[in-house]
Amino acid sequence: MATSDFYHPSLAFLMMAVALPFLPGNRRWKWLLLLPPLAAIYAAFGNLDGDHFTLTWLGLTLKLGHVDPLSRVFSQVFAIMSLAGIVFSLHVNDKAQHVSALLYVTGGFGCLLAGDYLTLFVFWELMSLGSTFLVMLNRTRESVLAAFRYFLYHVAGGLLLLAGLLLRYRLTGSFDFGPIAESSATYADWLILCGFCVNAAVVPLHAWLPDAYPRGTVTGSVFMCAYTTKTAVYVLARAFPGWEILAVAGTVMAVYGVVYASMENNARRILSYHIVSQVGYMVAGIGVGTAITLNGASAHAYAHILYKGLLFMSAGAVLYSAGTQKLDELGGLASRLPWVMVCYMVAALSISGMPLFNGFVSKTMTIAGAAEAHRTFVALGLELAAVGTFISVGLKLPYFAFWGGKKPDRTRELKPIPINMYVGMAFLALLCLAQGLYPHMLYKYLPYQEAVHEFVPWTPWNVIQALMLLGFSGLAFFVMRKVIEPHKALNLDFDWFYRLIGRGVLFLISRPLAAVDNVWTVVWDKVGLRVLKGLGALTSWFDRNAIDGIVDGSAVGVKGLGTLTAFLQNGRLQHYLGLMVVLGLLIFAFFWYGF
Amino acid sequence: MPYDKRPDFLGRFLADQLAPGRPKVWRNAFLALLALIAILGLVIPNRHPHFGVDAYPFFWPIFGLVMGLILIFAVKKIIQPLIKRPEDHYGDL
Repeated sequence: MATSDFYHPSLAFLMMAVALPFLPGNRRWKWLLLLPPLAAIYAAFGNLDGDHFTLTWLGLTLKLGHVDPLSRVFSQVFAIMSLAGIVFSLHVNDKAQHVSALLYVTGGFGCLLAGDYLTLFVFWELMSLGSTFLVMLNRTRESVLAAFRYFLYHVAGGLLLLAGLLLRYRLTGSFDFGPIAESSATYADWLILCGFCVNAAVVPLHAWLPDAYPRGTVTGSVFMCAYTTKTAVYVLARAFPGWEILAVAGTVMAVYGVVYASMENNARRILSYHIVSQVGYMVAGIGVGTAITLNGASAHAYAHILYKGLLFMSAGAVLYSAGTQKLDELGGLASRLPWVMVCYMVAALSISGMPLFNGFVSKTMTIAGAAEAHRTFVALGLELAAVGTFISVGLKLPYFAFWGGKKPDRTRELKPIPINMYVGMAFLALLCLAQGLYPHMLYKYLPYQEAVHEFVPWTPWNVIQALMLLGFSGLAFFVMRKVIEPHKALNLDFDWFYRLIGRGVLFLISRPLAAVDNVWTVVWDKVGLRVLKGLGALTSWFDRNAIDGIVDGSAVGVKGLGTLTAFLQNGRLQHYLGLMVVLGLLIFAFFWYGF
Repeated sequence: MPYDKRPDFLGRFLADQLAPGRPKVWRNAFLALLALIAILGLVIPNRHPHFGVDAYPFFWPIFGLVMGLILIFAVKKIIQPLIKRPEDHYGDL
């Protein structure tokens, strides 16, 4: 998996995950965790295009190292994010959490470099497994329950993908993973699309995300917010560019996410709904399918991983320090956690598309591309989502957690935040700013270089348009700040239907199917077993008297010997002693009379 | 002394902003900035309108303000009352 012009980024993550449980427990092993991300960064920027690592297995050719401009740009941001995530989690002593994260990232890189559906499926499932443990290892009842739901849901999504790729193989005779034309798509392609859409959190298949991510470990959710949905965006961009249904679905996602985020009280659930919304921009860009919107989707995925990682880091830091992530319990933390607030605001302004920050150079590219393609409702829907994003993440969350939304909470004890968490946050904050100020450092890696010059973010009109849109959205928040105040509540989402289906299946098994099973058991006991016993007796008789007779009665002899030894080995000490005496006398007689 | 009871310069600055009168200063600064942005929107023309209506001055300020007001009102006053349940509705907690 490593040659002079290729190194697979998953390799070191996998090796570290396998070795970590056996490393001595003096905590120096934590520094070794930095090696896989550094190697991945080296690989992501250095690997050359081509199919580098192929395996032949059962007559199939598996491509594990497919590198092209699309996989490269995603690999780069995955590698950078893995370094930030590992640094942010260096204080964690629980090896199980690190192993889960390492396996999860292994799966992520494996998917990016998969050149065929079978390889993709294997790494896809590895991601599901690793991320399930990142939720479960939070070790609360609600986390464990959420992890089981998450796993069940992703198994179902994985099965859709598996069914699709096997049926596709039957139809085409190939597992090749490349673009599929919407006009010639088969039912197998639609199954694959559904499997991808589960992981992309496309509405209404999205509810696993706001269910699980707020319940993950502080550090685990930082990894999860970056990899699962963006891997799905990557595979959609590779296989389904220009599919009309994705343009519609992406726009719905963008608006749906901000609607739910605007009413939520839980900080990490607000951010989770904003993953749905922001991934909506990417899915819409893929659906529109022009070079500029595909570039926009890739650029936005890159920027999104950085600022969303930073948002989950800073919200996680608040949870780590204050012990809660509910806005109605927080307030006025700006002066008590000032640098967390600064990092949070860098990420919040980035996601809002504010000039100077990286969301401004990525989000606007997708919207402009949709408008250029005369997709008015897509473009306006994404602009509406931008308004909602700034109101809920840029203003509501910090207003009620950090600023003057409520009186400062001076009594709550705050736990010190480890320095490595600050380092991880500062690293991503600097990147968000650098990309915003110098977009070329992002644009030069975009997959469709011929279209990069079609969009220039830093024009006077683009800047003033963004300031007008966001500034007056801010005015709407200022006017309605009492209305939008969050309160404790659970807002029903599509997981209500998932749970209904789950309860329906449970009912089906525990009532009608169980009743049928009970009747069958009685029938079997009365009729089936008797017939079976009769047949057994007949074949046993035949075996003893016919077959055994042919092989010279050996079976009867062995059986008799076995019965005798079983009789002798009855566990009674006095019998053993008696046997010893008899055996001793026999041996004595043999030698005495024999010689 | 507890960890956060020794604020650094940024913590002290932010704490000072809650002093009486300061929030009003910030509010006025925000409103002045909005006025400046609106004027700049008049001065700097949109040379490449996409939807037709976005060629008019103040389209984007009105879009941001009106959509923001509608979104917050619809979400908090119409949608949430319909779908709101107690936090432990599913018995997960």
